Amino acid sequence: MPKVKDTSASSKALNVIIYAVMVFSLLICIIPFIYMVSLSLSSPKAIINNQVRLIPKGINFEAYRQIFTYPNFFRAYGNTIFYTITGTFIALCMTILFAYPLSKTYLKGQKILMKMVIFSMYFAGGLIPNYLLISSLHLTGTRFAMLIPFAINQFNLIIMVNFFKALPQEIEEAALIDGIGYFSILPRIILPLSTAAIATVGLYYAVFFWNDWFNGLIYLNTKQYPVMLFLRNIVNGTMVLGDSSSASTDTATLSISIKSAVIITSTLPIIVLYPFLQKYFVKGLTVGSVKG
Amino acid sequence: MGKRDVGRDINGRSPLQRHFRRYWQLYLMMVVPVVYFIVFKYIPMIGNVLAFRKYRPGKGIFGTEWVGFRYFKRFFEDPAFWRAFRNTLSLSLLNIVFTFPLPIVFAILLNEVNRKRFKKVVQTISYMPRFISTVVVIAMMTEILSPSSGLFNQFRVNVLHLQPVYYMNEPQYFRFLYIASGAWQFTGWTAIIYLASITNINSDLYEAAEIDGAGRFQQIFHVTLPSILPTIMVMLILEVGRLLSLGFEKVLLMYTPSNSSVSDIIDTLVYRTGLTNQNYSYATAIGLFSGIIGLVLVSGSNKLSKLLTGDGIY
Amino acid sequence: MKKTLLIALVALTAFCSVFAQAAQEATNDGPVKFSMYYSDNATLPFKENWLTVVEAQKLANAEVDWEIIPIADYSTKVSLALNTQTNAPDVILYQTTTGENASLAMNGAIVPISDYSDWTPNWNAMVEKFGMQDDIETLRLKDGKLYYLPSLTDVPFYDGGLILRQDFLEQYGFDAPKTYDDLYEILKKYKEVNPSSYPLTILAGPRVLYRMTMPAFGLSIGKNGAGGSRVLSWDYSNKQFFAAAVSDEFKAYISFFAKLYAEGLLDPEMADPIDGGIWSRKMATGASMATWAYYDQIGGVEAASEIEGFKLQMYPALAGPAGAHHQQKNRTGSGIMFPAKTAERKDFEQIVRAVDKMFFSEEAALLWCIGKEGVTYNMVDGKVEYTDEIKNSAEGIYKYMQLNYGCGSDVTQMIWVNSREMTKYDENYSQINAAVEAIGDVIQYIPPTPKFDDDSAEEATTLMTPLADAFEVWCDAFLTGKKSIDKDWDAYVAEMQKLGIDKYCALYNANL
Repeated sequence: MPKVKDTSASSKALNVIIYAVMVFSLLICIIPFIYMVSLSLSSPKAIINNQVRLIPKGINFEAYRQIFTYPNFFRAYGNTIFYTITGTFIALCMTILFAYPLSKTYLKGQKILMKMVIFSMYFAGGLIPNYLLISSLHLTGTRFAMLIPFAINQFNLIIMVNFFKALPQEIEEAALIDGIGYFSILPRIILPLSTAAIATVGLYYAVFFWNDWFNGLIYLNTKQYPVMLFLRNIVNGTMVLGDSSSASTDTATLSISIKSAVIITSTLPIIVLYPFLQKYFVKGLTVGSVKG
Repeated sequence: MGKRDVGRDINGRSPLQRHFRRYWQLYLMMVVPVVYFIVFKYIPMIGNVLAFRKYRPGKGIFGTEWVGFRYFKRFFEDPAFWRAFRNTLSLSLLNIVFTFPLPIVFAILLNEVNRKRFKKVVQTISYMPRFISTVVVIAMMTEILSPSSGLFNQFRVNVLHLQPVYYMNEPQYFRFLYIASGAWQFTGWTAIIYLASITNINSDLYEAAEIDGAGRFQQIFHVTLPSILPTIMVMLILEVGRLLSLGFEKVLLMYTPSNSSVSDIIDTLVYRTGLTNQNYSYATAIGLFSGIIGLVLVSGSNKLSKLLTGDGIY
Repeated sequence: MKKTLLIALVALTAFCSVFAQAAQEATNDGPVKFSMYYSDNATLPFKENWLTVVEAQKLANAEVDWEIIPIADYSTKVSLALNTQTNAPDVILYQTTTGENASLAMNGAIVPISDYSDWTPNWNAMVEKFGMQDDIETLRLKDGKLYYLPSLTDVPFYDGGLILRQDFLEQYGFDAPKTYDDLYEILKKYKEVNPSSYPLTILAGPRVLYRMTMPAFGLSIGKNGAGGSRVLSWDYSNKQFFAAAVSDEFKAYISFFAKLYAEGLLDPEMADPIDGGIWSRKMATGASMATWAYYDQIGGVEAASEIEGFKLQMYPALAGPAGAHHQQKNRTGSGIMFPAKTAERKDFEQIVRAVDKMFFSEEAALLWCIGKEGVTYNMVDGKVEYTDEIKNSAEGIYKYMQLNYGCGSDVTQMIWVNSREMTKYDENYSQINAAVEAIGDVIQYIPPTPKFDDDSAEEATTLMTPLADAFEVWCDAFLTGKKSIDKDWDAYVAEMQKLGIDKYCALYNANL
């Protein structure tokens, strides 16, 4: 951090507040996860008898072993990784290609396009029209049904436009005077300046593709299902839609250790993604380097 | 509208031809995304005609007859709708008042943390709750607040010697629990946007403030906050536009007959009358209504934002 | 650069879909090929190499393309397929014509399978054999046609009911309870011995309790009420619906449970969703001693409990004011449906015949229930004798056969013969079932579904939602004592009448 140290009393007080808040957030965010890890490693007997706290009791890996024996578990996991990587890549390309021109308020029709984007946030067509569209484009049953329809999220687009607007215009103008076109300015000047924005929007897309089960369910075949669909089925089971009066839905409860293990396995990969992106959030680095 | 100030940016009134010669690359860039928007966002919108037609399952969107405003009339005349409308508004407003500022405060404070390693750890961990599905969040909440085995009630009973309270079932706790769990789940996640925004602040500004003798408090209020204000406004405008659409899943999971007087919102009403009974037309009509309100709110707050800060989302 | 990539992607997509179509067109004279939706439950994950699945396809000379869909999302997927008819499978398992399917059928989205009864000889024979012609009649829609092949049960069995701590009953010298008053005494004693307990707890929210206990009081309403009307019940002697939510029967019912609640005998923690885990914990730790649940859940709780002598037992239905009745059940269950599109296939007849053979033939009935002779069982003195591996498995015969062979899943097993089912359970379970059968008429039939057309169906649902909402709120308030049954009953009845419960009831009766 390039700041000079402020050693005043108010700064110290601020530090105390900051660290108190941070430690508090840390605890309330991590304790449930520790508890879940502990549940996933405990024996069902210990769980039923209410003996598991933050440390697992009767440690065993049975729950994990059982998840891994689910048919197609690894294939579904592979599918999800594929959807997340390609989906995020396509979405980032499309979003940047649209957001950059949209950030130029002097373009003709920019306002109309922006309004068109916002309008579309409020009037989605509903399930059946979307389904008919995707199937008339012959996308159903292909992996592209998971990728292309979601290439631009309006919220992410607006965030991106907002970031581009905030960039200093001088560098770009200098480049234009040098005779460099926008096709080169975007990758060579704008993108290196926008790493934090790209990391943020990329992360938001990655998480969307990682968690998306519904589109997989309606558009894809069994072999193409993402892992979230299976995991959701295990964790939620019939709780949400448990209106049925049949025995199988009310008794279909899996052990808590399996549910916990499922939550851990399904969230770990996407959680560890964030630390890798954090280097793009280092303050002042990008702007400073270009200027220097 | 919108045409008056176009093209005035650099060269004053340059002719149209010069404008396109200069910017054709930018226009070309947009072609694919614009086509994408038309195909994937606008074509399905035709489906909204269902609000004015009586949908018959299996007959498609056009194999149905016009019924005009019948479904709109139906929910306008339904007292349950207006109760749900009020509940939605109060829940949404409370949500904005209490959970909207949290990620901003969190991001600013986190930015002030000097130890890099600690900062990284907090950042990573604070966004973890985002990945727990709503069902699990509610299940955990039910467990912690359980009148028989929950930590809270054990404390009440054993330490304070009070009667246990069935928090999940009492109407007066519903809103608090909804908002608190939402804040827990999404504060770290939303803070990422503000962190990215803070990253973009030119460090010269801090140096200048430093030279002017500004302490850290002053720097927060005079540099950081104003610099991320555009982001805050964008987020706020978008949030206001979502006022009527809270989503049904979470509320449905927290819904009990006991707390229904406060927990029945538009989305759960639609879920019950529209989706579980397969009344697509009714659900579409309410969706259209919420959409219009959302649009009005967004353009209104956008205007207001332009007036106050000179900046909006369009 | 990036755009070229996109164009390439789109081109590739088009190419792929053309290919996929070409592959589908190719037909040959070998086994009949068709696709089928299967509802997959996480507790019983489908395996393509299950004995039953492999053998059933051999039996019918069919090659099935199984589409395995998670149970929680099954209805969404089926609804989309039937509503749009694009990408619909050839066959759909686990369906009935209640709810949306009825209007889908009336609008031509589903094959009226009764028009092709020549092609379903096995199913016809089973209906005949079980004497179920009348049961089938009630499933016909307004046009007099049948739109699915339901599963068939000869004698419905008692798979869930009142479960109590037998060790407690023995310790304090209680006989097996026969009436709700007997149960009250037992609960009271348990509370006296364990003051901090709530003797009666419930599984999965109050709905399981309501649907299992209401029939003994002569009604069945609420979220899971038989017939799906939420506030009406079937009058078995007059063969019509009555407004049960405002009846004296309901008043008696809710008074009984409100008494339990007031005395701390009924667990107040009863809002949905109640996790099966919490329920098991309460039973296993002695926080509760009585519940209404399913027989196969007993084992897990018993194995986990650390209480000495802990023993759970299921009891026959208790007698209430309307006699000893348990949750209603039909002898028909969800079954097999063909989307309209399938009838356009040239080999439609072969598909129907293959499905009929695969699920309803005598061989199939055995296969889906007890597996294959020589593999899962042998016949000893005319009795089914399972292999040692199955008999001695820790999960019990039923669960083991489900997990390892795919037997006994309500998705694929279409023929249920009570005596054959009993071979998969322990002696105790057969005895309880025998006791239930001795009481007679414990399990009544589910009331018929009115034959609504699109307009009356819409009217009915428009009336139902506010009625069901108001009922739920009042029911909860009466139960928990927030409203007094004595003082507020009239206000409640007035509200329900204002919401049109009588009109709703008349609508049901008019469309029978």
